[in-house]
Amino acid sequence: MAEKEVLIQIQNLSVEYKTRLGQVSAVDNVSFDIYKGEILGLVGESGCGKSTMGKALMRMIQPPGKITDGKIIFEGEDIMTYNEDQMRDFRGRKVSMIFQDPMTSLNPVQRVDEHIIEAIQVHEPQTKAEEALERATKLIRKLGIQKRRMDNYPHQLSGGMRQRVMVGLGLVLNANLIVADEATTSLDVIVEAKLADQLRQIREDFGVSLLVITHNIALVAELSDRIVVMYAGHVMEIADVEPIFDDPLHPYTKGLLQSIPNIQLDDTEELYKMPGEPPNLTHPPSGCRFHPRCPYLMPVCVDHEPPLAEVSPGRHVKCWLYIDHPEKESETIKVEA
Amino acid sequence: MESEKINKEITPTPEEVPEWLLDLDKVGFVRRLFLARKWYGGDWWFVAISAVLLIFIIIVGIFPQWFAPYDPREEVGPSLLAPGEPPASYLLITPVESGDIRFRDIADRSNNIGFIIGSAASQAMREVVDELNEDAPEGVRYQPRQQRYETLEEGLQTLVDGEIDGFIASPDELGETLEDFPSLQIAGTLREESERGFVFGTNQIGQDILSRIIWGTRIALIVGLSSAIVSFIVGVPLGLISGFVGGPFDRVLTLLMDSLYSFPGLILAISIAAVLGAGIGNIIVSIAVLYVPTYFRIVRGQTLSVKEELYVEAARSIGTKWTTILWKYIFPNVIPSVVIIFSVNVGDAILTEAGLSFLGFGLPPDTPDWGIDLARGQDYVRRAWWLITYPGLMVTMVTLSFSMLGESLSEILNPRLTER
Repeated sequence: MAEKEVLIQIQNLSVEYKTRLGQVSAVDNVSFDIYKGEILGLVGESGCGKSTMGKALMRMIQPPGKITDGKIIFEGEDIMTYNEDQMRDFRGRKVSMIFQDPMTSLNPVQRVDEHIIEAIQVHEPQTKAEEALERATKLIRKLGIQKRRMDNYPHQLSGGMRQRVMVGLGLVLNANLIVADEATTSLDVIVEAKLADQLRQIREDFGVSLLVITHNIALVAELSDRIVVMYAGHVMEIADVEPIFDDPLHPYTKGLLQSIPNIQLDDTEELYKMPGEPPNLTHPPSGCRFHPRCPYLMPVCVDHEPPLAEVSPGRHVKCWLYIDHPEKESETIKVEA
Repeated sequence: MESEKINKEITPTPEEVPEWLLDLDKVGFVRRLFLARKWYGGDWWFVAISAVLLIFIIIVGIFPQWFAPYDPREEVGPSLLAPGEPPASYLLITPVESGDIRFRDIADRSNNIGFIIGSAASQAMREVVDELNEDAPEGVRYQPRQQRYETLEEGLQTLVDGEIDGFIASPDELGETLEDFPSLQIAGTLREESERGFVFGTNQIGQDILSRIIWGTRIALIVGLSSAIVSFIVGVPLGLISGFVGGPFDRVLTLLMDSLYSFPGLILAISIAAVLGAGIGNIIVSIAVLYVPTYFRIVRGQTLSVKEELYVEAARSIGTKWTTILWKYIFPNVIPSVVIIFSVNVGDAILTEAGLSFLGFGLPPDTPDWGIDLARGQDYVRRAWWLITYPGLMVTMVTLSFSMLGESLSEILNPRLTER
């Protein structure tokens, strides 16, 4: 595959929530890149910081949460240095977001066309309403929604249609990146498949990048080009979609893939259940955050946090199994390219 | 090429929706009102009745002069006349040969008019003469000489003899006596225009109760609506901003509003009205202060929940300004619950206003106002039930209509109930 252009670079991003029980580091020192025109899947179990990650990308973390550290470099500029006005312009025009619940992500008292016209006029106030409406209509048709639906209220639309309207809101301003935060989770499988198809179609038509945040690994396998696996606020593994499913490296990824329910399982064979509980992030485990649940636990894992290392081209893993350390007793596994 | 092909494939065919189903979407409010049984049990007529009643009351309030038979401040009749009771009128008796004649024609300085000693007819005549003089052209002056007689027969005999030009007596005094004097006739009543009755009677100073009620509608509506509007205008934005901004601002404002809310309503209104003094503007202000916390609390609570909604976050994610979010996303989603409060509040404010006037902290005492009428009528409860019954009924009816409309509309407009 040809060398890809980096769209957005996340460097050492940390997000903390202040709670009564102490600081919760929901996202800790996370770095990855999103390339132009790719679909990047961000997977992990509930509470691992996926959604926080998505919001942090747009600097939409609300108090008591706070981005404590890191850079988000977009087109050569660090958006962490933007002021509120620049940020408003950035949101929607450069990056937009699709939310988990299509039932509540549209304003119940605004019609579909009003939503889209508003989105246009927020960023291009000089655009006339008719012009905006025309653009909105074109886009809506492209997304497979009939024109007469334009003056419907959100409650008159089905879940899939609403989600497509949300996608349209992101596309109408030619955003470079669309963050889909659990966008298909509340849809049924048929609508979900359709939307997934459309998301891919959109990527082709508009050349946008998509960050698909989900816990549905099957969807990510179907949709994404690359996958970022997160656990307890850390990125555990980054890889292209095929190698990660053929040969997961990180023990957590392995467990995650084995936990997918499968129709081929019979009575004798039980579904894999990862031992232990997700860690309490007010007091994260020392060393590797996954070590209390890891079946490949080594002494070194308890005391030292592994770096996110590139073990083969385009393949990053945060695990001592694949990285050398002086205190390590077992042999480092070499990964074939 | 490739992308075009796929594009066509993913465009779904328009769903097959039967035409009648689409038509059903278009039916308006009236049709839905007929379907009301579905969304409001069997009591949809609550809304209909209260709405019709309110529309009528509002029309009356806007144009009281169309409906009121008398000036509400004028003493237009005898005092304490029961509802429907005809006012005592006085008959003018003249000789037959004088033909069709009115009091005006024989009220000159040279004329003699007779009546029985001690009859109230002399008072009535003086009033009529005064009225005539007021309307009289320049240089003309009515002042008939009064002749008093011991008995009716004596007076009538004098009239037959031609010594006086007319005789005034009430129908009671007259009785059957006139049959003995065939040469005399009843020319008409003392007043030229026929006496209008008093449908709801008169009060202790002879004002028409119906007219006062009709003019009182205007005061009640003005005070009720304006105080509700003022508290709406103050309370809603405060609640919106307080809920949206949060922090210390919210906490201080909430504390302030809660302390206002904790006062007994009428007592707070009385103390404000007492400080501000009489006058309709001050009454409106003092009642408005009473209801600001109601709006504030509800709007703030709603704002707190609405601002957590996903669509608000979605709006922020496309870069909408916070003022736009507040105005276009939060306000419209908060307003339905406030509209209902508004309607109920109008009724409540009318009641409070009547209470204030009843206690004497309100409008100037000659204002035609239900509360004032109630206060003045309570001294006469045993003798004249109509003094307090009709204003009381009006207060009850208007308050009830507003509350009923508000409550029922809230059930109708609540989408959660509509879906059932």
